[in-house]
Amino acid sequence: MLDRFGRNLTPLIYAQTAQLVARLVWGLVAGLVAGLVAGVLLASPADAHGGTGLTGGFAAGFVHPLSGFDHLLAMVAVGLWGAFLGRPLIFLLPVIFPAVMAIGGVLGMINMPLPPVELGIALSVLVLGGMIAGAVRAPIWLAASIVAVFGIFHGYAHGKELPSAADPIGYSVGFVLATGMLHIVGIGIGAIDHWPIGRTVVRVTGGLIMLAGGWFLFQALGH
Amino acid sequence: MRGGALPAALLFAALAFALAFAPRRVLFAAVIAASLAAIACSLMPLPEIWREWVFAGCWASVAITAAMVHLPGGVGSPLSIVLAINAGIWAGATLAIAGLPLDLLRALPVLLLVLPAAWLAQGRGAIAIKVIASWLIAVAILAAALALVPTPGYAPDHMQ
Repeated sequence: MLDRFGRNLTPLIYAQTAQLVARLVWGLVAGLVAGLVAGVLLASPADAHGGTGLTGGFAAGFVHPLSGFDHLLAMVAVGLWGAFLGRPLIFLLPVIFPAVMAIGGVLGMINMPLPPVELGIALSVLVLGGMIAGAVRAPIWLAASIVAVFGIFHGYAHGKELPSAADPIGYSVGFVLATGMLHIVGIGIGAIDHWPIGRTVVRVTGGLIMLAGGWFLFQALGH
Repeated sequence: MRGGALPAALLFAALAFALAFAPRRVLFAAVIAASLAAIACSLMPLPEIWREWVFAGCWASVAITAAMVHLPGGVGSPLSIVLAINAGIWAGATLAIAGLPLDLLRALPVLLLVLPAAWLAQGRGAIAIKVIASWLIAVAILAAALALVPTPGYAPDHMQ
């Protein structure tokens, strides 16, 4: 086959077809592997429940961050703020948060005294929402520090509740995975920031998160 | 309750992510090395007294291996093989001490994550791998601490 300049297009067509087939094969392999991994990760907690009578496996851990609006909004806000701040914080914040959250979890497990955790969590929602609503472009060190400090409080709450009796590892995997996925949801929402209307939506979302944080803080202060 | 295929599967997942940043020519050798080491160690009779050390080694390996995704320039060939053998040893040891014979068959396929991960690592997907690796580090820290600390269990929490 020749184009209008008389050039042979056959090698190009072959190359593009091969590239398409390769992409399809990679997609199939990725899907297969993801299925296998999901099978391994999801099957283990179910097995672990056998006979314990407790519900502390993967599913319980996964649901935990989703069951409290304070956690949920803070996690989404971390992703959203990261997306708003762009590289490198778009991936740095979701990388820092789980690691620091785990350290907070250990502090919770050993009952290390901390300022009231409910206050810290409520403040995290308020501050992170405020950062997004105010379109605050914090420097890397400041954004990372803010997220790390709040990660300690969220991890502390999880650590206090981490069950040791029934598949605690499955529980940990569940809540870390759910936390990470909430970050991704936040990044997804933040992706619309490139459009003018999207920018408004992101800031309004931040404002709503901040308002919710104010309400959580109000409750945490005992009113 | 701990053991089963999950610790080994998480270690293999961490290895797969680390190998995604390794030279392509070493991937096959590393996967084979990890598999052989895991099979060999899972068949070894380990004394029960080693249980805590084996789990500690497994979780430390998960954290260290997952952290390798941040190594500037990726993981070199010799380091890839070292990481693979190390992962195989600890995965096999956890299965030998707290797993069933079939658990190895459930954990080993996780190594295949290296295929999509290596593909992703070529482009902007590298970020996704680094984020997921940080989740593995978090799980490893928590799981390692669980062995050292009696947790309060199902006490009412701040949301109740």
